[in-house]
Amino acid sequence: MQIQVRLFATYREIVGEGQLAWTLRDGTTVGQLAEAVLAKYPRLLGHGNSMLLAVNHEVVRPDVVLREGDEVALLPPVSGGDR
Amino acid sequence: MIEIQRTRIDVETVVNSVRRDDAGAIVVFLGSVRSDPEVRALDYEVYKPMALRTLTELVERVKAKFGVLEMSIVHRVGRVPIGGDSVVLACAAAHRSEAFAGGAWAMDEVKRIVPIWKTEAGTRKPRSRRA
Repeated sequence: MQIQVRLFATYREIVGEGQLAWTLRDGTTVGQLAEAVLAKYPRLLGHGNSMLLAVNHEVVRPDVVLREGDEVALLPPVSGGDR
Repeated sequence: MIEIQRTRIDVETVVNSVRRDDAGAIVVFLGSVRSDPEVRALDYEVYKPMALRTLTELVERVKAKFGVLEMSIVHRVGRVPIGGDSVVLACAAAHRSEAFAGGAWAMDEVKRIVPIWKTEAGTRKPRSRRA
Protein backbone atom coordinates (compact mmCIF):
# COMPACT_ATOMS: atom_id res chain seq x y z
CA MET A 1 0.00 0.00 0.00
CA GLN A 2 1.02 3.60 -0.56
CA ILE A 3 1.42 6.10 2.29
CA GLN A 4 2.26 9.80 2.20
CA VAL A 5 4.86 10.89 4.75
CA ARG A 6 5.05 14.60 5.65
CA LEU A 7 8.19 16.15 7.16
CA PHE A 8 8.55 19.53 8.83
CA ALA A 9 11.17 21.99 10.07
CA THR A 10 14.46 20.28 10.98
CA TYR A 11 13.34 16.94 9.55
CA ARG A 12 12.37 18.49 6.21
CA GLU A 13 15.74 20.21 6.01
CA ILE A 14 17.61 16.96 6.75
CA VAL A 15 15.66 14.89 4.21
CA GLY A 16 15.57 17.68 1.64
CA GLU A 17 11.85 17.20 0.90
CA GLY A 18 8.64 17.92 2.76
CA GLN A 19 6.74 14.93 1.44
CA LEU A 20 7.67 11.34 0.63
CA ALA A 21 5.63 8.57 -0.98
CA TRP A 22 6.32 5.30 0.84
CA THR A 23 5.22 1.79 -0.14
CA LEU A 24 4.48 -0.58 2.77
CA ARG A 25 3.25 -4.10 3.40
CA ASP A 26 -0.26 -4.43 4.88
CA GLY A 27 -0.17 -4.46 8.66
CA THR A 28 2.77 -2.09 9.00
CA THR A 29 2.58 0.17 12.05
CA VAL A 30 3.42 3.86 12.07
CA GLY A 31 6.34 3.10 14.37
CA GLN A 32 7.77 0.63 11.84
CA LEU A 33 7.36 3.23 9.11
CA ALA A 34 9.24 5.79 11.22
CA GLU A 35 12.06 3.27 11.77
CA ALA A 36 12.27 2.69 8.01
CA VAL A 37 12.48 6.44 7.33
CA LEU A 38 15.20 6.80 9.98
CA ALA A 39 17.12 3.90 8.42
CA LYS A 40 17.01 5.54 5.00
CA TYR A 41 17.96 8.99 6.36
CA PRO A 42 20.47 8.28 9.17
CA ARG A 43 20.91 11.97 9.94
CA LEU A 44 17.42 11.81 11.46
CA LEU A 45 18.57 9.21 13.99
CA GLY A 46 19.68 11.79 16.53
CA HIS A 47 16.12 13.12 16.58
CA GLY A 48 14.30 9.78 16.93
CA ASN A 49 13.65 10.03 20.66
CA SER A 50 11.86 13.36 20.43
CA MET A 51 9.92 12.61 17.25
CA LEU A 52 6.12 12.73 17.44
CA LEU A 53 4.08 10.60 15.06
CA ALA A 54 0.78 11.76 13.59
CA VAL A 55 -1.66 9.88 11.36
CA ASN A 56 -4.32 11.87 9.54
CA HIS A 57 -3.57 14.99 11.63
CA GLU A 58 -3.71 13.33 15.03
CA VAL A 59 -0.80 12.35 17.29
CA VAL A 60 -0.80 8.57 17.73
CA ARG A 61 1.15 5.81 19.48
CA PRO A 62 3.73 3.88 17.43
CA ASP A 63 1.63 0.68 17.40
CA VAL A 64 -1.15 2.14 15.24
CA VAL A 65 -1.54 0.07 12.06
CA LEU A 66 -1.52 2.09 8.84
CA ARG A 67 -4.14 1.88 6.08
CA GLU A 68 -4.02 2.69 2.40
CA GLY A 69 -4.13 6.44 1.80
CA ASP A 70 -3.14 7.48 5.35
CA GLU A 71 -1.11 10.64 5.75
CA VAL A 72 1.70 10.22 8.25
CA ALA A 73 3.61 13.16 9.67
CA LEU A 74 6.94 13.04 11.48
CA LEU A 75 6.87 16.02 13.81
CA PRO A 76 9.75 17.69 15.62
CA PRO A 77 8.78 18.73 19.16
CA VAL A 78 6.84 21.98 19.46
CA SER A 79 8.39 22.74 22.82
CA GLY A 80 6.71 24.99 25.35
CA GLY A 81 7.75 28.60 25.70
CA ASP A 82 9.66 28.42 22.48
CA ARG A 83 7.76 30.95 20.41
CA MET B 1 -12.42 32.35 14.84
CA ILE B 2 -9.53 29.99 14.20
CA GLU B 3 -7.18 31.01 11.43
CA ILE B 4 -3.66 30.54 10.15
CA GLN B 5 -2.57 33.19 7.71
CA ARG B 6 0.50 34.59 6.03
CA THR B 7 -0.58 38.23 6.26
CA ARG B 8 -0.60 40.71 9.13
CA ILE B 9 -3.18 39.93 11.83
CA ASP B 10 -5.85 42.56 12.36
CA VAL B 11 -6.16 42.64 16.16
CA GLU B 12 -9.48 44.48 16.25
CA THR B 13 -11.10 41.85 14.03
CA VAL B 14 -9.96 39.12 16.41
CA VAL B 15 -11.24 41.01 19.46
CA ASN B 16 -14.61 41.75 17.84
CA SER B 17 -15.02 38.07 16.97
CA VAL B 18 -15.36 37.14 20.68
CA ARG B 19 -17.65 39.97 21.81
CA ARG B 20 -20.92 38.87 23.40
CA ASP B 21 -23.50 40.67 25.51
CA ASP B 22 -22.95 38.25 28.38
CA ALA B 23 -19.14 38.61 28.33
CA GLY B 24 -17.97 41.19 30.86
CA ALA B 25 -14.28 40.56 30.23
CA ILE B 26 -12.14 40.11 27.14
CA VAL B 27 -8.46 39.27 27.55
CA VAL B 28 -6.24 39.71 24.51
CA PHE B 29 -2.75 38.28 24.11
CA LEU B 30 -0.36 39.31 21.33
CA GLY B 31 2.77 37.29 20.70
CA SER B 32 5.23 39.63 18.99
CA VAL B 33 8.63 39.09 17.42
CA ARG B 34 11.20 40.61 19.77
CA SER B 35 14.43 42.18 18.55
CA ASP B 36 17.59 40.23 19.25
CA PRO B 37 21.16 40.58 17.97
CA GLU B 38 21.53 39.14 14.46
CA VAL B 39 17.80 38.46 14.14
CA ARG B 40 15.92 40.24 11.37
CA ALA B 41 12.71 38.23 11.48
CA LEU B 42 11.27 34.84 12.38
CA ASP B 43 10.11 32.25 9.88
CA TYR B 44 7.13 30.17 10.97
CA GLU B 45 6.33 26.82 9.38
CA VAL B 46 2.99 25.05 9.94
CA TYR B 47 1.37 21.69 9.38
CA LYS B 48 -1.85 23.49 8.60
CA PRO B 49 -4.61 20.85 8.67
CA MET B 50 -3.31 19.45 11.96
CA ALA B 51 -2.79 22.92 13.44
CA LEU B 52 -6.36 23.96 12.60
CA ARG B 53 -7.73 20.76 14.10
CA THR B 54 -5.61 21.13 17.24
CA LEU B 55 -6.62 24.76 17.73
CA THR B 56 -10.31 23.95 17.27
CA GLU B 57 -10.13 21.17 19.88
CA LEU B 58 -8.17 23.46 22.20
CA VAL B 59 -10.90 26.11 22.12
CA GLU B 60 -13.55 23.52 23.03
CA ARG B 61 -11.39 22.34 25.94
CA VAL B 62 -10.83 25.84 27.31
CA LYS B 63 -14.55 26.55 27.18
CA ALA B 64 -15.32 23.39 29.16
CA LYS B 65 -12.44 23.79 31.63
CA PHE B 66 -12.70 27.49 32.47
CA GLY B 67 -16.24 28.52 31.53
CA VAL B 68 -14.86 30.70 28.76
CA LEU B 69 -17.64 31.93 26.47
CA GLU B 70 -15.69 32.60 23.26
CA MET B 71 -12.10 32.27 22.15
CA SER B 72 -10.40 33.20 18.91
CA ILE B 73 -6.83 32.31 17.95
CA VAL B 74 -5.11 33.59 14.82
CA HIS B 75 -1.53 32.54 14.06
CA ARG B 76 0.63 34.13 11.43
CA VAL B 77 3.09 31.95 9.47
CA GLY B 78 5.79 32.63 6.95
CA ARG B 79 8.20 35.49 7.66
CA VAL B 80 7.21 37.81 10.51
CA PRO B 81 9.36 40.92 10.99
CA ILE B 82 10.62 42.34 14.30
CA GLY B 83 7.66 43.96 16.02
CA GLY B 84 5.13 41.94 14.05
CA ASP B 85 2.50 39.86 15.80
CA SER B 86 2.87 36.13 15.24
CA VAL B 87 -0.17 35.14 17.28
CA VAL B 88 -3.27 36.90 18.59
CA LEU B 89 -5.55 35.23 21.13
CA ALA B 90 -8.78 36.75 22.43
CA CYS B 91 -10.67 35.20 25.31
CA ALA B 92 -14.15 36.30 26.43
CA ALA B 93 -15.78 35.28 29.70
CA ALA B 94 -18.39 36.58 32.09
CA HIS B 95 -15.70 37.81 34.50
CA ARG B 96 -12.02 38.66 34.25
CA SER B 97 -10.77 35.77 36.41
CA GLU B 98 -12.03 33.15 33.93
CA ALA B 99 -10.85 35.24 30.97
CA PHE B 100 -7.29 35.63 32.33
CA ALA B 101 -7.03 31.99 33.45
CA GLY B 102 -8.48 30.55 30.24
CA GLY B 103 -6.37 32.79 28.03
CA ALA B 104 -3.14 31.97 29.85
CA TRP B 105 -3.81 28.23 29.83
CA ALA B 106 -4.78 28.22 26.15
CA MET B 107 -1.67 30.15 25.13
CA ASP B 108 0.55 27.66 26.97
CA GLU B 109 -1.22 24.87 25.12
CA VAL B 110 -0.78 26.63 21.76
CA LYS B 111 2.96 26.66 22.37
CA ARG B 112 3.01 23.06 23.59
CA ILE B 113 0.89 21.14 21.09
CA VAL B 114 0.13 23.12 17.93
CA PRO B 115 2.43 21.99 15.07
CA ILE B 116 4.06 25.30 14.24
CA TRP B 117 7.85 25.69 14.22
CA LYS B 118 9.99 28.76 13.92
CA THR B 119 13.51 29.57 12.85
CA GLU B 120 15.41 32.81 13.05
CA ALA B 121 15.60 34.32 9.60
CA GLY B 122 19.14 34.30 8.26
CA THR B 123 20.57 31.93 10.86
CA ARG B 124 18.40 28.84 10.06
CA LYS B 125 18.64 27.67 13.64
CA PRO B 126 15.61 26.80 15.74
CA ARG B 127 14.86 29.58 18.16
CA SER B 128 15.90 28.52 21.64
CA ARG B 129 15.17 31.58 23.71
CA ARG B 130 11.86 31.91 25.49
CA ALA B 131 9.32 34.10 23.75
